[in-house]
Amino acid sequence: MTHEPRVEHPLDLSRRALLGAASAAGAATGLGAFSLDEAGAAEGAGEGAGRQGPLPRKVDVVVVGAGIAGLVAARDVAAKGFSVLVLEARDRVGGRVLNHELKTGGDVIEAGGAFVGPTQTHIRRLAKELQVPTFKEYNTGNSVYVSSTLGRLEYSGTVPPDPTILADAGILLTLIDQYASEIAVDAPWSHPRAREWDRMTLRDFIRSNAVVNPEGVSNLIENWTQPGFGADPRQLSFLFTLWYVACSGNERNVGTFARNSDTEGGAQERRFIGGSQLIPLRLARQLGDSVALRAPVKKIVQGDGRVKVHTRRGVVTAKRVIVAAPPPMVLDIDWFPRLPQQRRRLLKSQDMGKLMKCDAIYPTPFWREDGLNGFGINDSGAARTVFDNSPRDGEPGVLLAFVGGDAWRTYGRIGKAKRKQAVLEGFAAMFGEQALNPVEYTEQDWTKERWTGGGPTAIHAADGSFTRFGPAIRRPFRRVHWAGTETSTYWSGYMDGAVRSGERAAVEVVERLR
Amino acid sequence: MRGLVVRLLALLLTGTLLGALPSASPSASAKPGDEKWKTRVFSLVPSPGYPAYVHKHTNGRVYAGTYVAGDRQRSRVFEWGRGGALLRSWTVPGQLLDESHGVQVANQTKDGRLVLLETSRRALLTLDPRTGKFTRIATFPEGSVPNYATWGPRNLFVTDYAQGIIWRVLRNGKVQQWFAGPELEGVDSFGATGIVYRHRERDFLISQQTTSDGSADPTTGKLLRLKLRKKGPGRISTLWTSRPTDLPDGIGIGRSGHIYIAMVGLTQQLVELSATGEELDRFPDVPFTGENGSKIPFDSPSNATFHGTSVLVANQSAVQGDASHQAILRVEVGERGRAPHLPRSATFRRR
Repeated sequence: MTHEPRVEHPLDLSRRALLGAASAAGAATGLGAFSLDEAGAAEGAGEGAGRQGPLPRKVDVVVVGAGIAGLVAARDVAAKGFSVLVLEARDRVGGRVLNHELKTGGDVIEAGGAFVGPTQTHIRRLAKELQVPTFKEYNTGNSVYVSSTLGRLEYSGTVPPDPTILADAGILLTLIDQYASEIAVDAPWSHPRAREWDRMTLRDFIRSNAVVNPEGVSNLIENWTQPGFGADPRQLSFLFTLWYVACSGNERNVGTFARNSDTEGGAQERRFIGGSQLIPLRLARQLGDSVALRAPVKKIVQGDGRVKVHTRRGVVTAKRVIVAAPPPMVLDIDWFPRLPQQRRRLLKSQDMGKLMKCDAIYPTPFWREDGLNGFGINDSGAARTVFDNSPRDGEPGVLLAFVGGDAWRTYGRIGKAKRKQAVLEGFAAMFGEQALNPVEYTEQDWTKERWTGGGPTAIHAADGSFTRFGPAIRRPFRRVHWAGTETSTYWSGYMDGAVRSGERAAVEVVERLR
Repeated sequence: MRGLVVRLLALLLTGTLLGALPSASPSASAKPGDEKWKTRVFSLVPSPGYPAYVHKHTNGRVYAGTYVAGDRQRSRVFEWGRGGALLRSWTVPGQLLDESHGVQVANQTKDGRLVLLETSRRALLTLDPRTGKFTRIATFPEGSVPNYATWGPRNLFVTDYAQGIIWRVLRNGKVQQWFAGPELEGVDSFGATGIVYRHRERDFLISQQTTSDGSADPTTGKLLRLKLRKKGPGRISTLWTSRPTDLPDGIGIGRSGHIYIAMVGLTQQLVELSATGEELDRFPDVPFTGENGSKIPFDSPSNATFHGTSVLVANQSAVQGDASHQAILRVEVGERGRAPHLPRSATFRRR
């Protein structure tokens, strides 16, 4: 495990404090320590390939960030014959994609982005190239719904059979799909009602359109927004939410709520054998000496037809730069000249979601014997949305709780022991007392990841910022180009969006270098 | 421009212009199991939709503009990768939003800029996809509706949908009337659409949607051939006559010399002609339904731009305005296209 200073609100840290902390971490571990090995790479251990020693003085293209987006961009640029250097602040690659090796049996689960589904053709094609196969998320049997009013129910399908919310859920999801189908994925701010919807929260929309039980259906929708955005309906611009649904498709399939939220036929349909971080690890291995870890970027200076990138490990001059870092991290770089106002305000308006993943490990997936698929939703508690996170062979059994948004605010900031207890009680409410006694428990709080600042994605509040500043999202800033899943036109916030954004940024850069 | 098409199609649908629709009969050339004409969705076109034409760039990527935008929406230009991945888009600046406004990516310059025809200001713009910079090159005279464009000898040649004129745009942006003739006059101004220059044959192929010569069926269109003389246009002749309500639109030319034309009218078909104008095939066999075997039927298919051994077709849904039909479709034709004429002189002065 990396041992990073615990930060309650990383976004509140000043840039200099952040960089200072990074420097301290770098000094403690020594420059040139790398983690590109598949075994043990997940959390900073192990030695592998990667650039050792000083950085090159000049390359054609510098890529900032060794998440999937940055590595894909670098690979595509290198494939066209240009020299490239990827600068990564951490001691590992993968960004928001992170494998975790279980103590129990050494199996791997994902502590970050994990699922893939239909229409996510870019990440799946990349995984196939890198020989990282997928397996279907276990989905046999019933799901569980735990309601404060109705108690525990088992059900099949998408929406639990709660008579107090079924009708409203039907109305709202139909409207959301209808509106989302009108949203241009590349320019959601161009919709005739964009300004209105960008001043309206998802919660406002629910309250205005639910007929029977607005509070109840809003609570249900939290089970979607907390894992999906790390936020609650009151914190989300309705326009941004519609765009997110519109993005849940591809050029041949209009995005839908079901494709975003479902397991079968949806974005949670499959996982990667060996964990999703195998993809960035294998990309980085291909890039070899072109990836430099523990090289946080401090300053980017543009002028005289070149870009100077100042890092913890030295200064690199490039013809073009691709920045593939989470939005708030971009603001932590010193920019000369300053970022254009629209981009700066865009970045300031993009808050990272609050999300942690909590996994409990059992000798077997005992819930399967009871005819349950391991998926559950609860209208309260720490374990609001739960998945079966077992490896492909089902051993050991793993239950995963997404603790996001308000659930994170309640349970993310209490001690680990209390949180663990709350999560296990949530599992027990769904799957029985046996869930109280895991053989192992692990959790990953993305708000404490210094170089991410939250997860799973950056969100927009209903403050009009998405319409006002959104058009800057992919606009290059002189010789600097933008990648990262938030800049994608489809599957923004997902691994597929990361791949797409890297591919697009590489196209931009290569055509300027030719 | 698209507004005019809608009006015309609406007239056709209500029978104002139409005497009797031809009966739906399968084409004799259909070959069961033949992969030719296999149709797939290349990409849906995001709002505001209404793709007018598809341009295949020499950089390998694909571009289309939105020919109609909502009341206050600006038109956009989309860029796709070879496989149909949406890469980038640009919003067209300076449009008169109170006017009918749309944009077509009509061609490109030799140095890689896109050539756009913008309707609200009757403007010819360029867009450099490398920088995102738009430049206004030319303005067409009042009353003109610039429609399609091709590079010919030295200059760009542009059809006018509303007037029987071919415009020539010089490198400095000056617009000249290069050819005018009654053959290009359409009913109620529904005139010339697609234009392609055939370098080897030294002629232009021009599609003409309707006939205004007093013939019995004015909804019959034509493919015209305009020969070049040394110093200007030569004789114009009819290479092929369409069926009623076809409304021939954009043109693609295969390496075999075969000519592929989209029928944006009620028949909703692609037509394949020999180099001399003999009709060889139609797809789909049954007109009017647009059923092409893909999940999106032909719905005002407007062009046939070569992309490998297939043609890309902008499916406008001009009348129904069905956003789920507004897409770029990819139709296998079994041969590669002839590279569009793009001489070294195919550019405009930098401004």
